[in-house]
Amino acid sequence: MGERPITRAARIFVLISFALVACAAGHAAETRPREGGRYKGADAGLRQAAANEKRETKNVTDETGRHVAIPPNVQRIVTLAPNLTETIYALGLEDKLAGDTSYCDTPPAAKLKPHVGSPQTPSLEAIVALHPDLVLATTSINRPETADALLRLGIAVYTSDPHTVRGMLDSIARMADLVAAGEHGATLVAQLQARLDAVHARIGDLPLVHVLFVVWEDPLITVGQNTFIADALRWSGAESAIVAEQNWPQLSVEEVVRVQPEYIVLTPNHSESDAANKSSDLEKLRARPAWKALKAVETGHVVVASDEFDRPAPGLIGAIEQLARELHPEAFALSEGGKTIVGGTHAAMETLTSDAAKKECVSCAL
Amino acid sequence: MRPLTPQRILWTCAGLFGVLFVVVVISLRMGAYPISVRDIVDTLYKAAAGRRDEVPVEFWQVVFGLRLPRIALGILVGASLSTAGAGFQALLRNPLADPYVLGVSSGAALGAIISLIAAPHVVGAIQIAAFIGAASTIAGVYFLGRRGGQLDSPTLLLAGIVAASFLSAIIMFLLTMVTGSELRSIAFWLMGDLTAPPPVTNVLGWLGFLFFVFIVAAGAMYTTSSDLNLILTGEQEARHLGVNVNRVKFVVYIAASVLTGLAVSVSGAIGYVGLLIPHVMRMFFGTDYRMLIPTAAIGGAIAIVLADTLARTVVAPTELPVGAMTALAGAPVFIYLMRRRMR
Repeated sequence: MGERPITRAARIFVLISFALVACAAGHAAETRPREGGRYKGADAGLRQAAANEKRETKNVTDETGRHVAIPPNVQRIVTLAPNLTETIYALGLEDKLAGDTSYCDTPPAAKLKPHVGSPQTPSLEAIVALHPDLVLATTSINRPETADALLRLGIAVYTSDPHTVRGMLDSIARMADLVAAGEHGATLVAQLQARLDAVHARIGDLPLVHVLFVVWEDPLITVGQNTFIADALRWSGAESAIVAEQNWPQLSVEEVVRVQPEYIVLTPNHSESDAANKSSDLEKLRARPAWKALKAVETGHVVVASDEFDRPAPGLIGAIEQLARELHPEAFALSEGGKTIVGGTHAAMETLTSDAAKKECVSCAL
Repeated sequence: MRPLTPQRILWTCAGLFGVLFVVVVISLRMGAYPISVRDIVDTLYKAAAGRRDEVPVEFWQVVFGLRLPRIALGILVGASLSTAGAGFQALLRNPLADPYVLGVSSGAALGAIISLIAAPHVVGAIQIAAFIGAASTIAGVYFLGRRGGQLDSPTLLLAGIVAASFLSAIIMFLLTMVTGSELRSIAFWLMGDLTAPPPVTNVLGWLGFLFFVFIVAAGAMYTTSSDLNLILTGEQEARHLGVNVNRVKFVVYIAASVLTGLAVSVSGAIGYVGLLIPHVMRMFFGTDYRMLIPTAAIGGAIAIVLADTLARTVVAPTELPVGAMTALAGAPVFIYLMRRRMR
C-alpha cells in the first residue's frame, strides 16, 4: 500500500465514524421527550425517597433466596413478566403499575403502560427512569442477571419462583403483602382457591388422564415434573405421560408413540377461536407420519388449552377449569342445579377485576 | 511508505483516542433514559467536585451505575479481543485466525455452563468458571500444538480447531440438561453480553483489575512486535536475523490467550471484533505490528462501544445482544472496506 490509499482510507474512516455519530446524535435528539425541562422525573423520585425515609423498610427474602429491602408504601411497581402484570391487575393495583414489558398483553390495558423492553432483555435504564419502588421478576422468564444488576443499583427486586399452582397462589399473596395490599391478595387467593376446590370436588376422585402437554411442536418440547404446568395438569385431572427431570425436556416422537398418551394437549400459538384451532391442529397432526400412529390423534383426543395455561397468573385457574371440562366432560355435564357450566377463561379472568362480572360468574356456577 | 516513527504511532493513536472519546460521549448520551450532553457534563463535574447529593438519584444510577461501567467494560473487551486477534493472526500466520480459533471461547463457555448447572445462583461463579475453562483450554491446546518441543503453527491451529469442536459437542450435550432459566442465561452468554453485573460490589476496583491485566498482556505482546514483523516474512528468515522465534511465539500465545480469556469471562463470546478490527487497521495503517497492536486495541474499543450503543438503542427499550450487533454491522463494513482496497 502506498501513502495515498492510506490517507484516503483514513479520511473515509473518519467520515464514516462521524456520520454514524451524527446519525446517532440526531436519533437521540429526536426520540428524547422534551417534557418538564432537565432532570425530568427526578424530583418525583427524590420526593418519594424523602417520604419513604419516614417509615421503616421491610427486609424480606424473595423466592430465589435473595435478600431484598422493600421500601414502605410502595407506589411505583414495574413488572418484568406478563404473569406478574396480570397479577397486579387482578389485585386491582394497576394505578401503581409504572411500567411493564412489551410482552404484557393481559388484560389489554397493560399494553398501554410504558414498556421497559422484553422480559429477557429489558433496558435497565428504562427501568431506572421509571424510578420504581419495587420491581417484580420471575424465574420462569427473566434472567437472574437482570435482578442482580437492579439490586446493585439499590432498586428493590422481588423474584417469584412458583413451581406449583399453590405456590403461585402463595406467591400472589406474598407480592400483595409487599405492596400493602395484603387484604386484596387474601381475597383474590381465597377466590381462586375456592374455584380450584370446586374443580377438585368434581374430578378429584376420577383417575388422572395421561396426556402429552405440547409446549412446542417442532422440536417437540413438553413439561417436566417440577413445573407449575405439570401441577396445573394434575389440578385439571390429568398427568403428564412423560416423566422428566428437566423443566422443558425435548422429546422424540418415538417416545410419544411408545407411551401412547390418552390425550394430546396443545397450547395455542395463534389467536383464532379455539374451535377453529382444534380442528386445524388436529388436521396438522394427522398429516404428520409419526403422529398418525398415536391413538389419541386417531380418535381425535386432541385438546387446545387456553393460552393462560402457560402463565403462572390468576388466569391459570380459568385455564385449569377449561381443561378439566374438556378432559372430564362427564363430571361437568350435570352440576347440582342441573345446568351445564359455560363460560371460557377470559370471562373467568374478568371476574377478578370487575364486581359485575363476579356476580355473573357466581350465577353461572350455581 | 513513510518510515514508521514513534511520533507517527503516537499521533495515530491520539487521533483514534479522539474518535473513541467522541463515541464514548455519544454512547453516554444515548439510551432509553434521555440525557443531554449538558446534563452529562454537569453530572460529571458535580461528581468530580464531590457534590453527589446535587445529582438526582436516577442520573447517578444511569450514568455511574449503568452506562459508564458498561462502556468501560466494552472498551476493555473490544481492546482485548482485537489485540488478541492481531496476535493470533501473526502467530498462526493465518488471516482467518481470531481470538476463538484455538477453542478458548468454547472452553470458557463450557466452564460457564458447568457453573450454571452446579451453582446457578452464585454471582461471579460464571466469570470465574469461564476463566478457568479458558485457561485449561489454553494449556491443553498448547501441549497438543507442540511438535518437537516447539510451537508449530499448523499443528497448533489443528489442535485448537479440534479442541473447539470437541468442547462445543460437550456444550451441546450439557445444554439439553439445563433447565429454563439457566438456558436463557447461557444463550445470552454465548451471543456475547455486556449487561451482566460485575461479580464484586467494588466496580471501580474490578475494572481497574481487568485493565491492569489487559495492560500487562498487551504490553507483553507489544514487546515482540518488531520480531513479529520479521516472523511474518518467514520463520527461517527471522531465525537467521537472530530472532528467538520460540520465545516470541510463546509470549504471543500466552498474551493473546490471556486477553481472550479475560474478555470471554466477563462478556461471553462476542464475535467478529477480534477477526475484523485487526484487518481494518491493517488497511488503514499498514501491517507493521508496532503500529497494528495499539491501533487494533483502540479500534476494537471503538467498535464494541459503537456496537453496544446500537444494541441498546436500535429496538429500545429492549436490548439486543452486543454479539449480534458486531456481526450484523461488522460484516458489511468489512466487505465494503475490502472491496475498496482491491480496486
